[in-house]
Amino acid sequence: MADLSFDNWMTQLRKGLLELAVLNTIAEAPLYGYDIVRRLSDVDHLVITEGTVYPILSRLKNSGLVETYLEESREGPPRKYYRLSTRGREDLHRMNQHWDSLHHAIGGLRKERKR
Amino acid sequence: MIEMTPAARERLDNYLQRMRSELRGARSVLADDVEQSVREHIEIELELAEGPVGATEVIGVLDRLGPPERWLADEERPAWRQWMDRISTAPDDWRLAYLAFGLFLASLLLFQLIGPMLIIPAMVASRAYVQLARDRNEPLGARAWLVYPSIALVLAFAVGMLLIGPPLGAIAFVMQNGFDRMFDVPQNTIGQLRFTIGMGGVVFGSWWIIAAGFCAAFLRPIRFIFAPLLDAVHRKHFAVLAGIGALVAAGAATLIIYRH
Repeated sequence: MADLSFDNWMTQLRKGLLELAVLNTIAEAPLYGYDIVRRLSDVDHLVITEGTVYPILSRLKNSGLVETYLEESREGPPRKYYRLSTRGREDLHRMNQHWDSLHHAIGGLRKERKR
Repeated sequence: MIEMTPAARERLDNYLQRMRSELRGARSVLADDVEQSVREHIEIELELAEGPVGATEVIGVLDRLGPPERWLADEERPAWRQWMDRISTAPDDWRLAYLAFGLFLASLLLFQLIGPMLIIPAMVASRAYVQLARDRNEPLGARAWLVYPSIALVLAFAVGMLLIGPPLGAIAFVMQNGFDRMFDVPQNTIGQLRFTIGMGGVVFGSWWIIAAGFCAAFLRPIRFIFAPLLDAVHRKHFAVLAGIGALVAAGAATLIIYRH
């Protein structure tokens, strides 16, 4: 029963964090979908099934946080690149601030418990 | 375009079909967009393969992509799909109740086509579910909302047919054959009206006495069929029906006797 509730908590946490992780992945430079998936898959426990990332990219694009463009590839057909829009960059800044303050607050709670 | 064996192509096509069906109707995700990205993902994964790609390689890529049914968050999915999921993942002991309610809704929606044929299986499924709950000594709780409607609808129809069906048939028969030839009907309008009401009352009242006797005699099977809605019905209730029938018939007979 305890495992079930931990799994559920992990699933919820992962769902909430994936968007933040996707936006941070393309914050530095535009990346194409497959590359985003590879980088996120390298983060332990974040991406359980790679396909989950693509609906998130589509939703972010739909909500105007991300833009796409096609670029020719030497290996095959043109690839779709994702980059942050101006609004996406502003939102990501706010999301990261919020995440930092949450992380800090939870760290504080854990320290209190250790004392 | 990557060359694939027919088996690999079939696997991929099935997967993309499942994906399209899953993403159709999603609230803020564009299915075409996702499909294009997934195709691109598969091509990149397989571009270094030599010769036609086999089913094993394709299955490996699709396994890592995961089942499309788990890609979308609940709030992304259309309401009807969430409903279907709730049914398919509901505990076993709720499924029969959902089936019964589904058949009931279908019988209403398709009333003119096959509705009457669906309401009977809906009623049987509901009744079976009620019995199952009773055998397990479980209260129905909220599940009652799923199983009572079909039992109530069939019960209402049966009660209606029992109370008014045969008398209406008898009256129609008498009217077709002409009152005048069968009875001494008054010629004036008031007299004719009194006679018609009286005749109807006698037929209805008499039938209700017979129907009450029939139901009282077969109370146990009737209660069993329409359980739990008739659990509180006893023979005394049919005695009341017979009493009402007798009063109606007697009053109506008075109108006929004093029709002139």
